[in-house]
Amino acid sequence: MIARLSRRLLGGLTVALGLASAAPALAAPVNTGHIQADLIAQDSWAVPGSTVYVAVTQKIEKGWHTYWRNSGDSGEATSIDWTLPTGWTAGDIVWATPHRQPTGPLMNYGYSDAVVLPVPIQVPATAKPGETVSLKADVTFLVCADICIPENAKLDLAVEVRDEAPEPNWRTGRIVADALAAAPKPAGLQAVFQASETGLKLAVTGGPLKGGQFPDAYFFPFDGTLIDHPGKQAVEAGADGLTLTIPAGIALKSGQVPELVEGVLTIGDQAFEVSAQPGQPPVGAAGLGVPAARPPSGDGGGVPLAILFAFFGGLILNLMPCVFPVLSMKAASLAGHAHDAREARTQGLAFLVGVLVTFLALAGALIAARAAGQAVGWGFQLQSPAVVGVLCLIMLLTALNLSGVFEVGTSVQGAGQGLASKGGLAGSFFTGVLAVIVAAPCTAPFMAPAIGVALTQPALGSLAIFLFLGLGLAAPYVAISFSPALLRRFPKPGPWMDVLKKVLAFPMYGAAAWLVWVFSLQAGSTGLAALLACGLVVAFVAWLFGLSQRQTGPRTRWLAAGAAVLTAIGVVAVMIPLAKGGAAPAAGSTTQVASAELPSEPWSPERVAALRTEGRPVFVNFTAAWCVTCQVNDKVALSTQPVVDTFKAANAVYMVADWTNRDARIAQALADHGRAGVPLYLVYGAKGGDAVILPQLLTPGAVTEAVEAAALR
Amino acid sequence: MSLTRRLLVAAAPILSLAPSLALAAPAPAFSVKDADGKTRSLSEFKGRTVVLEWVNEGCPYVKKHYSGNMQALQRAAAADGVVWLSVVSSAPGEQGYFADGSAAKKWAATNKAAPSAILLDPEGKMGMAYGAKTTPHMYIIDKTGQLVYQGGIDDKPTNKVEDIKTAKNYVTAALADVKAGRKPAVAVSKPYGCSVKYKA
Repeated sequence: MIARLSRRLLGGLTVALGLASAAPALAAPVNTGHIQADLIAQDSWAVPGSTVYVAVTQKIEKGWHTYWRNSGDSGEATSIDWTLPTGWTAGDIVWATPHRQPTGPLMNYGYSDAVVLPVPIQVPATAKPGETVSLKADVTFLVCADICIPENAKLDLAVEVRDEAPEPNWRTGRIVADALAAAPKPAGLQAVFQASETGLKLAVTGGPLKGGQFPDAYFFPFDGTLIDHPGKQAVEAGADGLTLTIPAGIALKSGQVPELVEGVLTIGDQAFEVSAQPGQPPVGAAGLGVPAARPPSGDGGGVPLAILFAFFGGLILNLMPCVFPVLSMKAASLAGHAHDAREARTQGLAFLVGVLVTFLALAGALIAARAAGQAVGWGFQLQSPAVVGVLCLIMLLTALNLSGVFEVGTSVQGAGQGLASKGGLAGSFFTGVLAVIVAAPCTAPFMAPAIGVALTQPALGSLAIFLFLGLGLAAPYVAISFSPALLRRFPKPGPWMDVLKKVLAFPMYGAAAWLVWVFSLQAGSTGLAALLACGLVVAFVAWLFGLSQRQTGPRTRWLAAGAAVLTAIGVVAVMIPLAKGGAAPAAGSTTQVASAELPSEPWSPERVAALRTEGRPVFVNFTAAWCVTCQVNDKVALSTQPVVDTFKAANAVYMVADWTNRDARIAQALADHGRAGVPLYLVYGAKGGDAVILPQLLTPGAVTEAVEAAALR
Repeated sequence: MSLTRRLLVAAAPILSLAPSLALAAPAPAFSVKDADGKTRSLSEFKGRTVVLEWVNEGCPYVKKHYSGNMQALQRAAAADGVVWLSVVSSAPGEQGYFADGSAAKKWAATNKAAPSAILLDPEGKMGMAYGAKTTPHMYIIDKTGQLVYQGGIDDKPTNKVEDIKTAKNYVTAALADVKAGRKPAVAVSKPYGCSVKYKA
């Protein structure tokens, strides 16, 4: 009552002032309970035949909110019922960019704190200069916290008509102008959509979206039936823009496909109005994978912490089964140099350089491949059976070398120098190279979080993390080779070294055997036979070569060299066809073995949600045919009788998200769990418990335990 | 083991909301206590048309329609032999929650509401299964158990009583279509109202 009275008084005052002089357009705020509403004008007066902007402002009580034009799952948009003088017309509200307001399982779109909603008012050419008119807005707000209250404000703005160039209102002009400037606009974006009963694919390209690196991109549709509002919008970046994959709302689900998809696309604090036609998305709207998450602002703790973890991770790598044999080889040579400090230092540095160069090269290749849109993860170099095969033969050769079948780096003349050979500089470098290449698949399971961070960083931060991983790996060896005190502890060279060397050959044979097994998973039994044949030839030639080293006659040396060349040709001839097509059938067959025992369903977020509603535990296996670790886990852990029995007993569902081919939704799900690649194992509890991430190396026990626990949480 | 597990699964609260249901698909089964403490399930209404109405007595949109509109719909439905179930999915402590069946019946009596039953779903299980988002949110299940309508009560998404007169009532229209053996002309619409006050 008092408010109304004072408003009248002010209104009267305005009219009086307006009559007296150039008065600002003025109303008075109305408090509706949880909102302080006001009607303000951009200009000081209205010019006949023009458009003036007025705005309804809302100051919203803390914890409460009002709604956007599409209010989301519940709520109601603010609406204005105008009463205007004859000939004056009001246009549509210019909606400010909305915010997402999740409430329980639902999602609403609206505003909190404050919002300014401008409205264009058409001033008729017949408006009489000098006259002051009253613009009346009957505004209905739905204002909600956990409960909703409809509130209503009758607002009244006195506006003077003048026939002279408009001037901004000194008090409120800026507020309206800012709101108009900030409102989402088309910005020349091109948009295309594809709709199905499962969802909407929206491809948006154009200037401001170049590169597509907008992990937080979000589409607010004008139509409230189009999408599932709380659903996750998966973003895929492209050279010219981005593609959003959005779960379907009720209209799409019941097969109603709109002619146009309109709404607001937000990226960071920018917002654009989008109007999409049906059609084929342009090539530049996708293809660059999930955009990198923005580096954490403010504390910036992400990268330094990851670098620290990377260093320690590198240290731990020295103990990994796939790295240890390579290092054992190095240790043997170190023992040989132990009493020549300078030599030891040089060797240590050469090893370090080998490690770092290889780490950076691999990381660089990985980053480049990802930038080109390849869905590759760390350890990708072992995804090629040809690479695995060659590595296996290198391991075999190294082992044979340690066993004393032949010598490396020492020419026949230098044979007498034995292990203390000075020709080991290149050897040290390549030991470093080898250690990293073989270590990479080991790093995947143990370094997953750091590498996950690394791959979501801009290239530079990512390289830094890999650099420190390398430093960690090389650190112990370099530290020892630089410490005379430690070196002195090594016993003097002698016959014991030959024994040590021959003992250390066995971890290398082990490594070769491991690679043979990996290879057999990738290339199948035919490939395996070929590799074993190669191994046999390699061993024979190595022996021939060793034989020639122990002879002095040039003829035998020539013979050995010829045999070596022939072998190389033979090996290459076998490997090339394997590299081309060997992997596919084998990958297919391993999947078959898994599915034959553990029944699986293809993964989709909707299906997961539906199964959880049914109260069933869900196990999701994010895998790919090219992922060695995944295949191994499938075989040794998932496709085992105890696991199959446990799934049955727990009524659990086994879902497979196959990332063999690029898939934006899977990539998004991986990114959501901080991962850049597979494997990822998620177990959802039956009683709504959060997803638990299992280790990347599975055992049947770990799986059964997790599934049993999931039935209870 | 199996029994305990089943009990546990049955008691499991469901946190993720089922995405809105596909139409002309079987309506999700439910088994919920009504205001009389009796367990009601969808299967007992086989052969009859069923209307589900999500309700929260404190919600302004519910109040708008309980100014007479909703009661009239309920009586018209009853006259046609249609089962009308008002479902309360408000969690304890949230708006619209009834502490017991008598509180629900008292509210119905005060408002002269005439549903066949009021279902109390404080755990939100039935609400989640149907993907109920708002109060009111309306569903119609035909005699064969197929979901044939879901969405708003009418096409004027406001909380003003005076808008009821000029609004097109989707439930009335869909029930007439179902009665005549047709598919509802409007099978899906946007529900409007307050959010269902599910337990957090």
